Amino acid sequence: MFSSAGRFPLAGLLVLLKCAALGANEPTFAQTVQPFLKAHCIKCHGPDQQAGEVRLDELTAERKHTHTWGLIRAQLRDGYMPPRREPPPDAAQTRAVIAWTTALIASRPGRLPNHGNLLPHELLFGGPALTAGFGPARVWRLHPNAYQYLVRDVFKERLTGLSAPFTLQGERGIRDFADLYSLDEASTEILIRNAALIVEAQTSTENKNGQTVGRNGAVREFLDLLAPSAPTPRQLETAIQTQFRKAVARPATADEVRRYVGLYDKGVPTGDRVGAARTMLQVILLRADALYRYELGTGPADTTGRRWLSPVELEMAVNLSLGHQRHPALVPTLVAAQQQGVAAVRAAIAERVRAVLTGNKSDKERIYGFFREYFAYHHATEVFKDKPARWSYAPTQLVADTDRLMQQIVNSDRDVFRELLLTTKSFVNAIYKDENKPGRVPVLMPAVKPISFRPEKGDKPAVQFETWYGLEQFPEVQPVELPAEQRLGILMQPSWLIAWSTNFETDPVRRGRWIRERLLGGTVPDLPIGVAAMVSDDHEQPFRTRLQVTRSGRCWKCHQKMDDLGLPFEQFDHFGRYRTTEAVVDAAATAKNVDKKGKALGPVLRQVPLDTTGTITDSGDARLDGPVRDPRELIRKIAATDRARQVFVRHAFRYFLGRNESLADAKTLQDADRAYVQAGGSFRALVQALLTSDSFLYRVAPVEDQP
Amino acid sequence: MIPTRRHLLHGLSLGASATVLGPIVDRLVAHAAGASAVAQRRVVFVVQSNGMAPAHLLPAGLERKSATTDSPTRTFTEHALVGRTLHPALAPLAPFQGRLALVQGLSNKIALSDHSSELGALGCYPKDKVLGATIDYQMGAVLGGIFPQVGVGYSERGNAYCFSASAPGRRAPIVCSPAESFRMLFGSVAAHQDRTAFDHRTNLLEFMADDIKQARTALAGEERQKLDGYLEAFENLHGRQAQLAARAAEIRQHAPKLADKQLKNATASLTLEAQFEIAAAALLAGLTRVVTITSGGGGQAFGSYPELGIPGLHHIGHGGGYEDKSAQDCFVAIRQLHTRLIAGLAHKLHTQPEGTGTMLDNTVIVYLSDSGDSHHPTGKQWPVVLLGNLGGRLNTNGRYLDYPAYGRPGHRTLANLYLTLLHAVGKPQDTFGVPDPGLCDLDQTGPLTELLTARS
Repeated sequence: MFSSAGRFPLAGLLVLLKCAALGANEPTFAQTVQPFLKAHCIKCHGPDQQAGEVRLDELTAERKHTHTWGLIRAQLRDGYMPPRREPPPDAAQTRAVIAWTTALIASRPGRLPNHGNLLPHELLFGGPALTAGFGPARVWRLHPNAYQYLVRDVFKERLTGLSAPFTLQGERGIRDFADLYSLDEASTEILIRNAALIVEAQTSTENKNGQTVGRNGAVREFLDLLAPSAPTPRQLETAIQTQFRKAVARPATADEVRRYVGLYDKGVPTGDRVGAARTMLQVILLRADALYRYELGTGPADTTGRRWLSPVELEMAVNLSLGHQRHPALVPTLVAAQQQGVAAVRAAIAERVRAVLTGNKSDKERIYGFFREYFAYHHATEVFKDKPARWSYAPTQLVADTDRLMQQIVNSDRDVFRELLLTTKSFVNAIYKDENKPGRVPVLMPAVKPISFRPEKGDKPAVQFETWYGLEQFPEVQPVELPAEQRLGILMQPSWLIAWSTNFETDPVRRGRWIRERLLGGTVPDLPIGVAAMVSDDHEQPFRTRLQVTRSGRCWKCHQKMDDLGLPFEQFDHFGRYRTTEAVVDAAATAKNVDKKGKALGPVLRQVPLDTTGTITDSGDARLDGPVRDPRELIRKIAATDRARQVFVRHAFRYFLGRNESLADAKTLQDADRAYVQAGGSFRALVQALLTSDSFLYRVAPVEDQP
Repeated sequence: MIPTRRHLLHGLSLGASATVLGPIVDRLVAHAAGASAVAQRRVVFVVQSNGMAPAHLLPAGLERKSATTDSPTRTFTEHALVGRTLHPALAPLAPFQGRLALVQGLSNKIALSDHSSELGALGCYPKDKVLGATIDYQMGAVLGGIFPQVGVGYSERGNAYCFSASAPGRRAPIVCSPAESFRMLFGSVAAHQDRTAFDHRTNLLEFMADDIKQARTALAGEERQKLDGYLEAFENLHGRQAQLAARAAEIRQHAPKLADKQLKNATASLTLEAQFEIAAAALLAGLTRVVTITSGGGGQAFGSYPELGIPGLHHIGHGGGYEDKSAQDCFVAIRQLHTRLIAGLAHKLHTQPEGTGTMLDNTVIVYLSDSGDSHHPTGKQWPVVLLGNLGGRLNTNGRYLDYPAYGRPGHRTLANLYLTLLHAVGKPQDTFGVPDPGLCDLDQTGPLTELLTARS
């Protein structure tokens, strides 16, 4: 069943899958998996009963069920299911089912960004990768920013009145996946309206000295279509070709030209030739291949059946992976390179990556975007908190500080991943005056000024912003070395800690989950719908004690993957401020805290000792597992492992290729990891390796899923 | 025999011009035919940011049983509104007092969040998970119309703003620019455009549907599905074009005449005013039967009303005032702006004859906040104002209803209210959204029977 339903019917991959996961006797859905489910699962997760709202009798090997299979695999592997009260399944049978699910996931990775880890790390990095990589032939709707650049490519001048037709989904993590987005009616309506506005601007004229001329930004080739007399066929074709090159970065074929002329002719009987011409120019802007990245593999095939991306496809893929703007000048280079062979193509792409990542003026926002989405510290601005009394609180500035630190580390391009985790430096409340004005020496100054106070009126001085980082004064030279043994790296920046906190508390659970998933490459199931996440409201206890509720039976199944990894960050309060004790409500003192009439005056706090210990368990690297004293030890230990770096590489793969990795990408990932290490931890080398990999360059058409 | 007006209209409705005059003739015929005519039902959702204070629903002289007015009661209570004075915040609705139901005590804790519950307010599920079609789209699916739902509103954030979903995972945007919502609904008959522009658009949609169909053939499997939505969009829009063409006269008659000040750099008040006008016109012209009008909300974009001396709603949400106005004064002022607009909408519907009565008789306006009962909601109560009885299906003739507090026997949720609406339009179902796990001991299914009439 599995092999016949394989998404990528490459003999090489299947051989590898069998070696990796299955052994000699390949388990099948019908013979191995279905009987197992029937015997051990369906009673509680079937038509009669759906324990935990899980139903397994309708599962198939289709890709839409990959995620569920991943969860089943984890439950079986970790021995959570079937429950102990039920007769245990035969160990060999269980292994066979695990092997089958593993193979399924390896060939059809989950569609969603946070499902990438379902493919076990060992399968990708556990041994030498033999297969030649490839990706699925696919389309990928433009990033919202790329749409803006498309508009700019089509009409160079300022244009008001346009709306954003689509956005990215708001979930944390890597957001722009090829499988996540399509165009619906609401987007389409806006796209049509935008196209009308753009073409109107492209064809707008004014009267100058009695002559009708194009306005600023109008396209010369289109003006012939505005004359009262009918345009010649040649004028029509020129206009079509001009718009086509602007929108799709290639010339139109004869057949395409014929169809557009047909649309024009259809509009002429209305008596409005100009309107007909504008409609014709609008539809070119609505083409699927203008609004989607096309990566079908329309180049030549190689001996294994993989197909090259054509030069136009490749140009779009490379430039929209590195930034948001196309760069059609790369096409002729790629055409020439493709004739010379794959090495020349790789060299041309590597050069383009180098130009973008090292260019002083190049737009690196999409590159930086990876680190923002990976760490998600920029969400600090979305976590609502009341400002602490007498403290300045400006989460935007805390995010800006981390952003600046991240950019400096990325641009230094040395040991990037470890530096991000372990740097002892930080930017602190900093902006550069006149940063964007050329020729001026930037002067560092505090972005958030101390709050003024009037001691003569009895005001108490406000705590200054720098104090957030443990400093007494605004440091004029930055990045500054933070107080010894308090903070390390991005995960101990206030912005990250706030982003992963709740309104009034720290959030060890989600912090732990972040570490489990993004550093250790593990998986945690989503919170089951219907489970109310409740930490006890007993504020007389430290948060760690209140979180004990998760250690009960069924909660602990998932929470043991998270809580102990997140608890060391209790070193910081929920604003990300370093602390050595924890404030809890003093019940006795609070009871006495009343005014003369006996009215309660509010809670009184007392300081209790702080516990910052945690445990690394089930990390996949036995040397790593064990207790840690505090968050710094936790991060130092993890940062020293190959595994964490490789998991980072996997995330970079997902971001730049817009999909989860499959087993066919094992060589790509290993090569990228090697390139990164050999270049001394160079992120540029990593991106070059990913964008010149077989996974990036080659496509194989997907086979239809079984019904 | 001298034909009566009723005969004339009847003949007209069967004649060739019927397709052009469609709804207006339907309505006149129905008006002439009397009670036997099938009336069209309509729902308007008005969703406002920063919470709906329970106190604003309390008429003068009424108190809630517990110590403060903001705490819900232990048992179900009901009072007639007749002879009572509405809270100043709702005073503009006084002309419709006999058509109001002020509903307190419903919860929607499943959608609880910091501020706005976003899609949770109309969907009754956790804010971040678009688990199904929201109530406005579900009503739209039953009630029909050229546009199954029209979502317009005001936001500081521009257009990236969603309170509704048409299906699981499919957010539907709120159009926040009046100019844009006008173009969407009335562009086909706008003064500066003529039939030609409309025909060009028809050609464009037809061409694009064909173009995407061709593009699809190059793709396989799931990749093809990524273009399906795009294709479907062109096909639907093309179909809608034909419907709009058939009703051009009707639409032209109702197209709102917006002032420049409502369209360019408009204040929040003017933007809302324009959106309410457009929404009313869309209902009068028969373009849609379900409108969602939103004001602020979504993340922390609450809104800004410098024209009322209230530059920031977040500030007042935290108890801050402006100049001589307390936070409560500001809340009342903002509420009055909205209740005035709602009253204006109700008035327009009331002046339009339909069946034996008016359009308002067949409508219900559901007014609530995306943020429950306050700026920082608990989700344990979610006050709702209902105006209109949906063609006699709802009992909203001047009532104040207070359901038992969260967790108490007889406690009901916002989902139950939405089930009531579905029931009232002939689509009864047991559950809506995601049930609240905190209420697992209570029955969360079915409509609010107190609000249904014998006719439903």
